[in-house]
Amino acid sequence: MKPHSLISSFHPANEPDTLASHERAEIDASTRFPVLLFFGSAIFWLLVGSLLGLVSAWKMTHPAMLDQMAWTTFGRLRPAHLNTVIYGWASASGIGVGLWLMARLCRIPLIHSKLLISAAIFWNIGVLVGVLGILAGDSRSIEWLELPGYATPILFIAYACIGVWAIIMFRYRRPGHVYVSQWYLFAAFLWFPWLYATANILLIWEPIQGSAQGAVNWWFAHNVLGLWFTPIGLASAYYMIPKVIGRPIHSYYLSILGFWSLALFYSWNGMHHLIGGPFPAWMISASVVASVMMFIPVVTVAINHHMTMRGHFDALKWSPTLRFTVFGAMSYTLASLQGMTMAIPSLNTLTHFTDYTIGHAHLGLYAFFTMAMFGAMYYIVPRLTGREWASAAAIRWHFWLVATGILLMIGSLFLGGVLEGLAQYDPRVSFKTSLDYVTPFRWLRGISGFLLLAGHLVFTALFALMVLKLGRRKDGPTLFAVPTGGNPGASAV
Amino acid sequence: MTAGILLLFGGLIFLSGSALAAFYWSVKDGQLNDLGGAARTIFDDDEPVGSATDKFPSGK
Repeated sequence: MKPHSLISSFHPANEPDTLASHERAEIDASTRFPVLLFFGSAIFWLLVGSLLGLVSAWKMTHPAMLDQMAWTTFGRLRPAHLNTVIYGWASASGIGVGLWLMARLCRIPLIHSKLLISAAIFWNIGVLVGVLGILAGDSRSIEWLELPGYATPILFIAYACIGVWAIIMFRYRRPGHVYVSQWYLFAAFLWFPWLYATANILLIWEPIQGSAQGAVNWWFAHNVLGLWFTPIGLASAYYMIPKVIGRPIHSYYLSILGFWSLALFYSWNGMHHLIGGPFPAWMISASVVASVMMFIPVVTVAINHHMTMRGHFDALKWSPTLRFTVFGAMSYTLASLQGMTMAIPSLNTLTHFTDYTIGHAHLGLYAFFTMAMFGAMYYIVPRLTGREWASAAAIRWHFWLVATGILLMIGSLFLGGVLEGLAQYDPRVSFKTSLDYVTPFRWLRGISGFLLLAGHLVFTALFALMVLKLGRRKDGPTLFAVPTGGNPGASAV
Repeated sequence: MTAGILLLFGGLIFLSGSALAAFYWSVKDGQLNDLGGAARTIFDDDEPVGSATDKFPSGK
């Protein structure tokens, strides 16, 4: 601690310079290289994934576009988009946020960063090899597991390194309470390598027979959402919302209940993707019941986040982190409640095989997870680089471009999907007519892709300025002076 | 094939068992004894309850 004279201690220009702030700065600094490495590569894959998604979307209205070369056909671009954004962007940004949160919540500087750096390298090679493999025609044609068999072991090594690291960090944590975010993160880091290995053994390396493959496929694909992305997104929200507004979460009891009920119910959910498929009725029924039971973890999280925010909603005006995180948390509630209804067989009959499902997937992975990751990055990166974000206006552009883009995308997919489903349910309407109904909505979805890509470019520029040290320098061990009087730097939305 | 299935069932039992063990540990360790205090563990002297820690960059 720096010695202060009696007078200077009272001077408002001197920020509190306590042991706690030095410890926190040291912990943050220890995570710098691995976390920025994961963030940087995640943003690279986000741009690649957005572009692949954009071209795939416009192929729905312009089928003849880019159909001369095999690798630019829809059947290759679309799985390349999915795998790039899932493994390239979402997983990597989630790992980056998870590493930083683990170090802060264990209250020790990050150890074994070489293990994490090698994980990042393996992981990037795995995604690159896998996506090029898909474009070259080696896709496995199993949704969410299209990456060819020669790429998946590389990814598995990366994930296993991170799982081992999580165990070591947890073991060396400073004694004290294990915060709810850490339960979520630790669970996610252990669950995912297990899910990934099981699915790969049963589907790629030693394929099991017949329709049982479908069961494994959707057990895996749904668990990637529920036991990998959801816990990381919620861990981030459970840390960021209280930290930013300076208020403990409303009910800690509910947060613990939410964690354990998620762990109990989520892994049963996958079979609801197979309603009407060639499976024993009890499998589907058990899954539908578990899907509806998800009401408990979802509503506990929703109540908790809302009640914590209550009376502090003006903070959305002055905190970029909070704005993105709360957008994500609200979308989590919507996506989960919508998913519950979609698991009910009578409604599933209408929405299955329509664009409605695609809208649901983007509500979950973009409006919830991706927005939560943007929010976390706005908090974390300044604390790693010691710089402020270059431009408040650019942050606002980023937010409004992606918020408008994703709302337009899911809105058009939902409306188009319902019309498509109703038309296909009516035997008097031809299949071609049902597709004509949905075409204008696909145009809108294509336009939303441009908005999202533009937002991502703005964010990439902001991130590059931070990493290339072109941003403005901030002094002191922690960034952002502790605001006094509740409303720091209030400015136009 | 049989070895693969055994490995998977082993993993299944291990994972479920570890979840139960984790829950048992959290109760025994007293993690659930002081829930109000637990919610405040992410705050400290430097960033106490009541202090906001994020804002838009100043200027521009």
